[in-house]
Amino acid sequence: MSKSITTRLIVLLTLCSALIMGTGMLVDYRLSREEILDRLHMESRDTIKSTIIDLENLLDGVEGSTLFLARILQQRDYTQPGLEQMLKDIVENNEDIYGATIALNPQRVDNPLGFAPYYHHKDGILTYADLASEQYNYRSQAWYTDTVTAGKPGWVEPYYDEGGGEVLMTTFAVPVYRVDEQGDRFLYAVVTADLTLEELQRYLQRLRLGQSGFATMLSRTGIILSGKNPANTMRHYSEAHSDELDSSTWREMFSSVLAGQAVTRQLECPEIFGRCMIRMDALQSTGWPVAVIYSEKEILSPLRKFQTKSTALGLITLLLMSLAVYFVTRRLTRPLAALAQASDDIARGELNTPLPAARGDDEVARLVRSFAAMKKDLKSYIADLEAATASRSRLEGELTAAREIQMSMLPRGGEAIERFEEYELWARVRPAKSVGGDLYSYYRSGRQLFIAVGDVSDKGVPAALFMAKAISLIQQLAGAEIEPAPAMVQLNNALEAGNDNCMFVTLFLGVLDLDNLQLRFASAGHTPPSLLRAGKVKVLKQDDGAALGLATDLEYPGNTLQLEPGDRLAIYTDGIDEAFNEQAEMFGFDRFNQCLAQTGQAPLAAAGSDIFAAIDHHAGTTAQSDDITLMLLQLKPDDHPGATKMDKISAHFSRGKNLISQVLDWIQQSLEDLGVPEDNHMVFTLVTEELVTNVDKYAELPVDGIIEITVEASAARVALEFRDKGIPFNPLQDAQRATLGADIESAEIGGLGVHLVTQLTDEQLYRHSDGHNVLRVTKLLQDV
Amino acid sequence: MELKTAVTIDEENSVARVALCGALNTDTAPGFEQNLQKVIAGGHQLTVLDMKDLDYISSAGLRVIFKAAKQTKAAGHRLAAANRKPHIDKVFEILKALPDMAVFANDQELDDYLDSMQKQVRGD
Repeated sequence: MSKSITTRLIVLLTLCSALIMGTGMLVDYRLSREEILDRLHMESRDTIKSTIIDLENLLDGVEGSTLFLARILQQRDYTQPGLEQMLKDIVENNEDIYGATIALNPQRVDNPLGFAPYYHHKDGILTYADLASEQYNYRSQAWYTDTVTAGKPGWVEPYYDEGGGEVLMTTFAVPVYRVDEQGDRFLYAVVTADLTLEELQRYLQRLRLGQSGFATMLSRTGIILSGKNPANTMRHYSEAHSDELDSSTWREMFSSVLAGQAVTRQLECPEIFGRCMIRMDALQSTGWPVAVIYSEKEILSPLRKFQTKSTALGLITLLLMSLAVYFVTRRLTRPLAALAQASDDIARGELNTPLPAARGDDEVARLVRSFAAMKKDLKSYIADLEAATASRSRLEGELTAAREIQMSMLPRGGEAIERFEEYELWARVRPAKSVGGDLYSYYRSGRQLFIAVGDVSDKGVPAALFMAKAISLIQQLAGAEIEPAPAMVQLNNALEAGNDNCMFVTLFLGVLDLDNLQLRFASAGHTPPSLLRAGKVKVLKQDDGAALGLATDLEYPGNTLQLEPGDRLAIYTDGIDEAFNEQAEMFGFDRFNQCLAQTGQAPLAAAGSDIFAAIDHHAGTTAQSDDITLMLLQLKPDDHPGATKMDKISAHFSRGKNLISQVLDWIQQSLEDLGVPEDNHMVFTLVTEELVTNVDKYAELPVDGIIEITVEASAARVALEFRDKGIPFNPLQDAQRATLGADIESAEIGGLGVHLVTQLTDEQLYRHSDGHNVLRVTKLLQDV
Repeated sequence: MELKTAVTIDEENSVARVALCGALNTDTAPGFEQNLQKVIAGGHQLTVLDMKDLDYISSAGLRVIFKAAKQTKAAGHRLAAANRKPHIDKVFEILKALPDMAVFANDQELDDYLDSMQKQVRGD
């Protein structure tokens, strides 16, 4: 949910709105604050101006009365009681004046203490005091001496009038000069009028400067005349609040004001919490600085309150906006959520899930409609796919069965390992598709090992069918024990028959004589096998013919290769050397031969698997393009257990009288010489006689024709080989054979010899090679 | 290898006895065939081939015996073999030769047979 559009919209819009509103409010606050402070500044100037005017008026009144009295005294003489009366009248009638005196110059008075009557409003009652008393002694008071010294009217610095007015006051003093008979100017008296600080304070306190704002007045020397805290009155400003005062600013303001320059300052103030704004000016007549002090906090508090309200309002607006966004987006995205749910269901295969209703023609509605179309298409697509899959799986099932059948046609089902005393054979077919056209076969008949490896053109089913035909024919021929070359001719003719598709097969057919390790083979366009001997790989030289199945009556040359113990022969199909990798490079003969050499020491099955692995490694991700078949034939080394050495003796016999006797004498002698146990002599003699007789009778040899006979013998077996240059004649097939066991009336006379040969020996093999009939028979000795 | 034959005729019982000694092979078979034909031509009821000293026989020899067996059978006479050595016996077995030919393992069996035959002739 935290990632939903609704949430994101709410968060985004709220943040943006809050930012905009906050910035607006901040700017508004700043501007309003400036405005308010500007106005306060103006107000403070007005206030201070009017205050000063008021104070000046007050002072002017006092000054005026005093100067008037002084002028009168300058011109007229009064008796002392007259002076007193005049003084009394002035004080009595002028409420602003606290007290007044006319202090005569003591040098002009009889009384050495001088004359100085003093009337004042003590506690609201007009009271008289004599300032010429010993205690007061006005001649030494500052207001008198300073005025005399100054010689002109002026305000005296505030003081406490001890013994006089008994209050804090300031005094306007005017010296009165007269001219005597000689024309000399002399001081007649000093006339003063007192103004209480209380009176001044009352003026200042009348100012309305807010809850914590106040006005203050200082003397020219910095004595506080009026302030917020009465306790500080008459103290120097720097002493009061000495801790908290920004004294440098105050000093600067003070000197500016004394120089006649009004100033406005904003600074941290004592007696007011927080910052304050000060406007300071000075009275013209006295030079006393007067200041009004406002609390900024107090001035700005309405703004703050307004801001707080605005903020609260803003928050409520944001909340409402979020709710509105929530409802709007929910309304917009509800179909999307339903669509998401529906698509999940569809993804699970529930294609009949209903989609949300699409109203209107907005983007969501269009999406829903596209989705509905997609669902419909998907349904039909899946239906098609199911049908296709069903038929495909049926086909695959059939192919799997076909593969099993095909593999069952190969010895050991496509991967064979055979271990014998003298050799090991390993073979594997791996089709590129389910079925393929590669084949191998082998068949052991006595001391002859028949092997075949073939490759049908193309691959897949057509190749597999042709392969089935080919391997059936090959296995039939293997049973018939025909030499590879003539077998190839027969196979070619058989495969050509009805082969309208012109399928063909390359084939290697070989027969290995295990007694003399001679490999006779023929090749129908097949890749020449490789031979690993003593660690070195040699590609066999072969005379080969065309691939099988294309034309009739072709000739296939026979090849002979003498193998040696320890040899390893690799027969394979072109699927190996033509295995491609991603760069379209072939595995090639060189790599194959290298692999064969490298795996030479490995056991045969492991070597075969390693070669397959090397091919797979080369191919990488490239799919196998052709069927692969590999057959490895390993001859055991000489020293393998069970190896038997064959000794042999050969002789040539010329036809003529006593042929049989000569042969039989020789054979008996040979058997003796070869150490064949005596109880076996009769069998070999008999077989020799029968076969030589056959040749003599049927081979159509010239009168002095030669028959070559070889006897080979080991402890385990004895082999006889007969060679002649007669017409091709295979007594095993072509000789007359009597039906055995018949009644004597119907029994044939003759045709018995071949029966004896086949019954008395374990293996009989005929071949025609190099213009010779070669017949070889082998018998295993019973004691082995 | 030679073959020697000795023929003894028992006219009383009409039995010809042919003893073979040596090897009956391709080379010796023609000579033996001549001798045997002469004996068969004698028309005896029974011709016995005594193989006590026969060491070797090949298909050429058997052919001669087959032929003789056929002839005697046609004439209503009989041909029998006696005293076959094991390896000779084996050759006969392989070729399923002369299944209905009388075979006597030794002289005693032969004598017993002759006795019983005489009794039959006399009508006992």
